[in-house]
Amino acid sequence: MGRTLAFLISFVSLIIGATSELQGAETVWSGLVIAENVAQPQTIPPELTRIEGSLKKFFGYNQFQVIGQSQKTLKTGQEDWLATSKFFGLHVDAQGESAAGYVLNLKLYKEKELLLETDAKLSKRSPLVIKGPQIGSGQLLLVLVIQ
Amino acid sequence: MKTFEEKWTAWLDGQLSERELAEFEASLPDRAAAEAEKADVRKLGVLLKRELGVSAFANEEFFSHQLRERILESSVPSAKREANASTWWTIPRLLWTGTASLAVFLIFTIFVIRDKNPAEESQYLTQILNARVDPVVSPNATVSMFEVKQDRVTVLWTEGLQSLPADYAAK
Repeated sequence: MGRTLAFLISFVSLIIGATSELQGAETVWSGLVIAENVAQPQTIPPELTRIEGSLKKFFGYNQFQVIGQSQKTLKTGQEDWLATSKFFGLHVDAQGESAAGYVLNLKLYKEKELLLETDAKLSKRSPLVIKGPQIGSGQLLLVLVIQ
Repeated sequence: MKTFEEKWTAWLDGQLSERELAEFEASLPDRAAAEAEKADVRKLGVLLKRELGVSAFANEEFFSHQLRERILESSVPSAKREANASTWWTIPRLLWTGTASLAVFLIFTIFVIRDKNPAEESQYLTQILNARVDPVVSPNATVSMFEVKQDRVTVLWTEGLQSLPADYAAK
């Protein structure tokens, strides 16, 4: 009897906990990544681990290094932020939240020059990768992931 | 010593002795009115007896059977009677039934969600709504987009953007 009650209480608590976790604020990681082919590639940054296979398959590089990044916790879904490196800036403007994710306006700047602009609906379970300009022997990639 | 009301009631019912009757009737202020009232009361009595009278029970056997049932019932031990009256829904059974129902509900919910997912998968993939490049900076640039459902990755693929020297890879 006591055990059954304890089981029931813990079960209900787990469900409530899981539900409230689903409704919590989420963090968007945005990064400027240089993809290159090198003889001795460095370990992939932890933020990119989950898409490492896809990055290698799509772009054909063996090393991915973050040159600029930003981590933003979204509370209202209306925030904006900037991920910068020495020469590039990625401006992200969140324009609302839906059940599937966030509507974002992205602008890639080279110093003060706008290179690329896009609007995307970033899903909570699906990262976005943007192929940027060629830089030396490598490639600039923009990556957005909801953590 | 009887009160007037007692004597009056006894007079109406005809239960006064001869001496009491004579004394009482002599004491009445209006004999005729009293007699009229007595007649009315009798009529009323007759009417009530006729209309509301308890019907006589005719079937003696039926009543004796009922009586025997009652006696038998009262002779059964009280514990046995309580056992007969108790319900199947004891508290542990209720708890187990509740838990089992919840489990069944969860199993069905999981199956429904699982079935629903493939159809709604595209909704959970990042979607590129539009993309543009500066035609002045990169006049030959093109953009294309694709979703890799297997890896759940969405890619915006640009071609023809102005290439930059390696220095631009600086942090």
